[in-house]
Amino acid sequence: MNEQSRQEDIAGRGRWWTPRTVAVGHTLHCRIGPLTLELHHAPGEWDIGMRQDAEHGDEITAELDLHGGPLTLDDYQRFMFSRDDDQIRLTPVPADRAVVIKPRQAVFLPSGEETLLYVSSPVMVRIEAGADRTLLREVPALRLSDTWFGSSTREGELCYSGRTQARHVLEEVPRRSYRAITPARIRNEGITPLPLDKLSVPVPALSIYGDGDGALWTQGISLVRGAESELAALTVDDGPPDFAGPVTLLSGPREPRTRGALVRAFSVLFGQGA
Amino acid sequence: MIDQLLTMLGGETAAMILRATVLLAIGLVTAPIGSRLVRRFASRRFSVHHVQLMRRLVFYGVLGLFVASALRELGFSLAVLMGAAGVLTVAVGFASQTSASNLISGLFLIGERPFSVGDIIRVGQTTGEVLSIDALSVKLRTFDNLFVRIPNETLIKTEVTTLTRFPIRRLDLALGVAYKEDVDKVREVLFELAERNTLCLDEPPPLFIFSGFGDSALQLQFSVWATRENFLALRNTITVEIKTAFDAAGIEIPFPHRSLYAGEATKPFPITLVEPARPAPDRKPPEPAQD
Repeated sequence: MNEQSRQEDIAGRGRWWTPRTVAVGHTLHCRIGPLTLELHHAPGEWDIGMRQDAEHGDEITAELDLHGGPLTLDDYQRFMFSRDDDQIRLTPVPADRAVVIKPRQAVFLPSGEETLLYVSSPVMVRIEAGADRTLLREVPALRLSDTWFGSSTREGELCYSGRTQARHVLEEVPRRSYRAITPARIRNEGITPLPLDKLSVPVPALSIYGDGDGALWTQGISLVRGAESELAALTVDDGPPDFAGPVTLLSGPREPRTRGALVRAFSVLFGQGA
Repeated sequence: MIDQLLTMLGGETAAMILRATVLLAIGLVTAPIGSRLVRRFASRRFSVHHVQLMRRLVFYGVLGLFVASALRELGFSLAVLMGAAGVLTVAVGFASQTSASNLISGLFLIGERPFSVGDIIRVGQTTGEVLSIDALSVKLRTFDNLFVRIPNETLIKTEVTTLTRFPIRRLDLALGVAYKEDVDKVREVLFELAERNTLCLDEPPPLFIFSGFGDSALQLQFSVWATRENFLALRNTITVEIKTAFDAAGIEIPFPHRSLYAGEATKPFPITLVEPARPAPDRKPPEPAQD
C-alpha cells in the first residue's frame, strides 16, 4: 500500500464512497454490509468480482482493504480500457424501484395523530473508474425480494419488498453503511385509525446523503391522509433531515420529481389496508 | 369490308376506348396515392394491422371504381356486370370456402385483439411468440425455434391463451408429503423458502392449499407469484429449493406405497435373515444317472 492510498484509507474510514487510488496490479477489497466487492486493476482493464451474502443485521460498517495481488472471487467481470487511470469510486445510489416496507408488527395511527417513523432501504453501489467517472457497474448492496404493489394482479408496479421495525426514536435507529434512512412523517386526518400495513417509499425519487460517520440518509417524506378523500399528499423534503447533522450529497434522484406523481391514491401508498 | 370496319372503329369507338384507357390510368395512379395517404395519416393512430387493412380497402376501392367507370365507357352495362360478378362470387365462394373463412376470422382477430405481435400465446399444444397476424393465418415461433402457421379460423374456434397479457404470473406446484409429516411444519418450511427466494413475489402472498388425502401421500398445492420475465427462473429455482429444504427438515416426499396382506391382516410376514451366500466353488455338473 503506498502512502497516498494509506492517507485515503485513514481519511475515508467508514465512508466507503470516498474515491480510492488502486495502482496497477493491486486489488481493492470492499465489504459493504452483505456485499463483498473486489476491484482489481490489471494493465488496461478493471476486473470486478462480487458476492452477496444473506443479511444478518450486524454488518454495520463498511471495510475497505487494498492489497497487491489478484482477485479471490471466481465470479468476476472484466472491463477494458485503452489507458490506465488508478482512480476508482464507489457511490451509493438510490434503488431502481420503489421499496414496499412492511412493519414486523401491526402498526396503527389513530385519528388526528402524527408520527415520524424511520425506515431504511438498501442502496445500490455504483462503480465508476477514472477521473471522468466512467460507469462500470451498478450492484445492489442487498438484493431484496420482488413484490407486486397494486390494486390487482393486472395493474400495479413491481417493487422491492423490505421489512422494518417501524422505529420512531432516532437513537434506536441503527446506522448501517448499506442502508439509507428515510424519515417518514405520517399524519392521519381521517376519522378511523390508519393501519400502516405497507408503506411504499418512492426511493428512486430520493437523493442519498452521507454523514461523517458513514451513515446514509435520504430526504424526509411526508404523507397526509385527508379527512374526506382517500388521496394522500406525498411530499419529499427539499434537503436532508436536520437531525442527520452535517451531510454531503452523494447522488441525486433517479427519477425527476413531478408534482403529479406526488399525489397518489392512499391505497397506492399504504396498500389495501387503508 | 375492312374499310368499313375501320371507319366504324375510327369514330366513336376509338374515343370510347381512349376514355376508358384514361380512366383506367387515372385509377392506377390514384389508388396507390390514396393508399399512401392512408398510411401517412393513420399509422400514428392505429396499429400496423389496422393500417394495412385500411390501405388495402382504399387501394382496391378506388381501383374498382375506376375500372367500373372504364367498363361503362366501353358500353358494358354495370347491372349485367354486377350480376355476373354475383354468380362468380358464389362460385368462387364455394371453391375457396376455407380461405374466405380464414379471411373473415382474420378480420375478427384484428378487431378483437386477443394478442398482438410479440406476445406469447398457447394454442392447443403449441406455445410460441407471435411473429405476424396476417389475413389468412397467424405465424408463431416456438421456443425450439420452429415456424408454426395457425389458420385464423382455428384461432377463432379454439381456446387461445395469451401468456404475456398480465405482468405477473402464478406458479402452481403440486406436492406430496408422507402421511406421518406435520402439515403445519411443511407449510412453515415452504413459506420460509418462498420468502428467501428473491424472484418469488412477496405480494400477492404465496398460497398453500391442502388438496386431499392421496393414495400414498398428503396432496398439497403451493402457489407462488413471479413476474412473467422471471417465471421460468422461479420454476427452476424453487423446485430445487423445496427438495433441499424438505431433505434438510427431514420431510419425506413418498413414492407410491402398496401394502400386502397374507390373508390374516394382523400377522406379519415371517422374515428370516440368512447368511450371504458364499461364491460356490467350481463344481462339475452332476453326472446323469446311469442305469
